[in-house]
Amino acid sequence: MDGGVVLIDVPSTQFVRVNLVLLKGLMEDRGRQGIFISVDRPHQYMVHLMRMHQISLGDVTFIDVISRFSSDRKGGEARVGFVDGPFHIDSLPSALEESSKGQGSGFLPLEDCGFAMIDNIAALQIYNRNPAVELFINNFILTAKSHGSMLVPMVLDKSRHESLYDSAQKLSDVEIKVEKGLSFATRNPSLEFSGNGVITEADKNRGEY
Amino acid sequence: MSNDPIMRKERLDLTRLTTGIPGLDEMIEGGYPFPSVILVSGSAGTGKTTFALKYLCEGVKKGERGLYFTTLSEPTQWMLRYASQFDFLDQDYFGDDIVYADLGSLLMDPDSDKLLDAIEENIAEVMPQRIVIDPITVVGGMLKDNYRTFLFDLSNRLKNWNATTIVTGEVRPDELYPPEISYAVDGIILLILSEEAGARRKYLEVLKMRGTNHITGRQSIDITRADGIVVLKARF
Repeated sequence: MDGGVVLIDVPSTQFVRVNLVLLKGLMEDRGRQGIFISVDRPHQYMVHLMRMHQISLGDVTFIDVISRFSSDRKGGEARVGFVDGPFHIDSLPSALEESSKGQGSGFLPLEDCGFAMIDNIAALQIYNRNPAVELFINNFILTAKSHGSMLVPMVLDKSRHESLYDSAQKLSDVEIKVEKGLSFATRNPSLEFSGNGVITEADKNRGEY
Repeated sequence: MSNDPIMRKERLDLTRLTTGIPGLDEMIEGGYPFPSVILVSGSAGTGKTTFALKYLCEGVKKGERGLYFTTLSEPTQWMLRYASQFDFLDQDYFGDDIVYADLGSLLMDPDSDKLLDAIEENIAEVMPQRIVIDPITVVGGMLKDNYRTFLFDLSNRLKNWNATTIVTGEVRPDELYPPEISYAVDGIILLILSEEAGARRKYLEVLKMRGTNHITGRQSIDITRADGIVVLKARF
């Protein structure tokens, strides 16, 4: 698929691994560039992981909404824009839109973005009421869909965030379930979006990812 | 707070990792918060390393990868020789499912930044959900002045790496826990060896567990070959 929303059901302990697999797959296998919004931890951690796993940082722009709350001295060079904090997150899509039109201070040409990811959507519930998070998801997807063939992978743990998952499900084009077998998939991370389905250890063994 | 069910903020339950210690999960709402840093404190012979190894083995059963840092330069060979006496430990876990990393050589010429870098490099490579640093108190003896800053940075980064970490702390028999570590961790579990009527008895106490309505008070424990540490008389 070229664009659309891919809802990925993953145990919450595996979000980081799955995000890394997705970044590698989208940038290296699909040749896309895009944006990665950091909510759950400062962006430097994904930068570190990408360097460690030899994934190029040239095709990703980070939007970091948590660094200013984290008191973290960790270094990590990447193309990054900072947002004041994770509160009032429903305003972020319009900020991205503004930035794209050159009216803000940003540098994001959304037309050129082949993907947009959030690490992680559920963490927004710590800082925002559910209606605001749901509004954010809706507006974020609308913004993404209005800019060509942008792919939006949404990583959620259905068993833990059922209500949020249900909301995202209504907006998604493809739904994938990742089971326990993903645990060590990052040794050779790549992912194929081939349609609805369940990715399991057996799939991994067949080499599908 | 609004009474409107739509506007009311839903409490976001913490993800929890099961401890692997029979009886302990029930004392702490199902397990350790994920991510978090938990101090397991006790004097010699209270079972700190057994406690930590059981935590990692529990993770393997759930598809969660483990990373075991030793600060004592103890070769894997010797650690495994003693640990292999426990039924719960499958030697095949070590290598892929549980990765063993030795920080001892870095502590010969201690530099807090280099130590932090080495820890992070291992974490970024292994990407574990469960980490053990055994024992952290050795680092305190080496770093001295920088220890508090190091602990603060370490705790913050371990959580941002999306893992739950057990750090073990060795104390003298008259101490409960190393005070300089307590402020940097999210949970404190005491393993206590007590002499009562001429016999030595072992207890476990959850002193602190952030975000958790935990059972307080000392609980009797036993160390068995089958399960490692077992909570015997938890009052739940």
